[in-house]
Amino acid sequence: MEWNPQELPVDVLDARIARLRAEMKCAGLDAFIVYTNNVRPSAVAHLTGFTPYWNEGLLLVPASGRLVFATALSNRVVDWIRSTNPVSEVTSTPRPGKFLGEWLAKDTVKQAGVLELDAMPSELASDLAIAAPAIQWIDGSSTFAGVRRRIDAAEQRMLERADAIAVAALDEVNVTAISDAGALAGLVEKQARLAGAEEAYIAVSPDLVSDLRFNRISKPISLAERFAVRASVAYKGSWVRRTRTFAKDDFVRRANIWLEDVVRKIEAGKFFAGQLAACVDALPDAKLANWMVESCSGSYPLSVVASSRSSEGKAPIDGSFYVLTVEFLLEGGPWIGSAPLIVGKPAP
Amino acid sequence: MIADDRRARLIEAMAEADLDMLLVYGNAWQVDYLRYATDFGILEGQALALVRSDGHIILYLDSPLEVDRAELDCSGVDVIYAPDLIAEVDHALDRLRNHRIGTAPQRLLPRRIAGRAKALNLSDQTSVVDRLLMGKMESEIAAIRRAAKVADEGYRVFMNAACPGRADYELIAEVEAFFRANGVDDNFQIIGVGGVEVRGMIPPGGKRLKRGDLVTTELTPCVDGYYAQICRTLVIGEPTAEQRAAHALYREAMEAGIAAVRDGVIAADIARAENDVFRKHGLGEYTTSEYTRVRGHGMGLFADSKPHLLENVTTRIDVGMALIVHPNTYHPAVGYLVIGDAVIVTKDGCEVLTGVPRELVSVPG
Repeated sequence: MEWNPQELPVDVLDARIARLRAEMKCAGLDAFIVYTNNVRPSAVAHLTGFTPYWNEGLLLVPASGRLVFATALSNRVVDWIRSTNPVSEVTSTPRPGKFLGEWLAKDTVKQAGVLELDAMPSELASDLAIAAPAIQWIDGSSTFAGVRRRIDAAEQRMLERADAIAVAALDEVNVTAISDAGALAGLVEKQARLAGAEEAYIAVSPDLVSDLRFNRISKPISLAERFAVRASVAYKGSWVRRTRTFAKDDFVRRANIWLEDVVRKIEAGKFFAGQLAACVDALPDAKLANWMVESCSGSYPLSVVASSRSSEGKAPIDGSFYVLTVEFLLEGGPWIGSAPLIVGKPAP
Repeated sequence: MIADDRRARLIEAMAEADLDMLLVYGNAWQVDYLRYATDFGILEGQALALVRSDGHIILYLDSPLEVDRAELDCSGVDVIYAPDLIAEVDHALDRLRNHRIGTAPQRLLPRRIAGRAKALNLSDQTSVVDRLLMGKMESEIAAIRRAAKVADEGYRVFMNAACPGRADYELIAEVEAFFRANGVDDNFQIIGVGGVEVRGMIPPGGKRLKRGDLVTTELTPCVDGYYAQICRTLVIGEPTAEQRAAHALYREAMEAGIAAVRDGVIAADIARAENDVFRKHGLGEYTTSEYTRVRGHGMGLFADSKPHLLENVTTRIDVGMALIVHPNTYHPAVGYLVIGDAVIVTKDGCEVLTGVPRELVSVPG
């Protein structure tokens, strides 16, 4: 989608970059490198507004001055990249690592942070290291996570928009009128895209009673009486997930209301596990089976930060964005739901 | 089963390359190496798979949602949820130091693992898998035929959705909905709307169609893992004489490229045949990287497979390869214009898979 300066003002991007530079200074970093492709777009999107549809690129955040974005996307789309990324110089090059390495070598950079250094594709990493052999490369993931701890008002609005798209798309599902999972996935995806979603991954569990797992379905599969749909939706780089169970019983209605209530109640500083356990009392006929919390702190749009699979305790941070997914077991069959939340702010 | 056939071919190739194991990387952008080995079409996160010479495969995924999908989709593969994917696979490789382990695609292998290549006895075997990806088996060609057929149908949906006032993303929405309901796992699609100001196709940005616009699209549905592409241009309202002339030139170039496709030529021969048409009309400048990326490419488990059709690519074209021939580029009088047909290489030429007529379609405006 095109950049809208009212929606994402340059001032907001400048403030995000300034926050990263402050974190860089604390960590003793003279420069920062961020990788992007269409699977790992979120960090570059946060700093510049740009999301690649294909191929890959590297963003250089120097200690001062304009950002430099080097991408293997071809020259013919550079003007388009510039139109969606108002804060960077943009260069099309088959070797972004070499280009930025040479740029850094000319500067006085001694230590450069790299978001998710271990995961950097080897060719880019090798090109950077060869072109700038004197630089010490340091993993900057925790430095960047510091920038992402609190979301700003612009990001909140984008998340709200993404969530509204997901909710409206799921609202189109008429449990009495639809019987095929492929058609259902098509319907939800169409509604999401018509409402402006730049990406929509729709997954379906066609028969929740027999299998709780979701898949991206594109073939005719009959829907059982109890099924669930997961809509993962992006609006201009901001991703949310909404999962909804569909069945003709009262528990589904009560559980949906319960989830909306829970995401409003989550507090900062207290472990997710404990807070969820306390909330489950409101549904005495259900047994909590699994839960998962996702957030965006690096290049992935959403990744797991806490779950019932992990024994490590994790407490929400004030002002952070999360997606909570909960699975209940009950007599009539399972129920799965997910919803986004921002700790300490009204639910998006 | 197509996945079993691929796996057998891969094991055979590993034996020829004297490998005990193959380490394969994949994500939703570059999915083909991973899909070849595991049959998994990853959407979120990243994956690494270890293929043993006895056919045993372990697929490591860092998204629990993708673990569920892989368990449903990939029979005979051990699926492991690895939240710290790279560390976990690195540790697994540590225990396999006496093995000869190939990697593919080397350039995307995570730095931490690639940096220990010597200690872990890793060798770049990207070209071994590339050969398998390019030379298709009959079952793979059949899947590409199915994808090409649904690409035709998808383009008709796109065409019917195009009318003045509609936003570009609404056209994509119609196509994606049609695909999801008709067996298409994934679709790579970009679009261009407008006139001389349009320099290429991009994701939809919210532009509304208006009379006189050229609407270009590259539509690439995936059926059973295999992508087939179609490129077409339509015009809102009656085309101008310049638009007609430009389209005729591009069609001539595409047909020259298709005529050059046969067993034994090299990729450059096809690109040259296309570009010669532009040069003949004094538009040679628009065949350069300033205005265009490639003059076509392979199709298969990746939407933009090797070989790339360019005048400096010497890859031999063999029977059974799947290609899209598309002389897409900027035209100074009308803007970016596209046309491309999918083909399968035969001994004496090629089988054209695309069925949508090659005309510049006019939709009421």
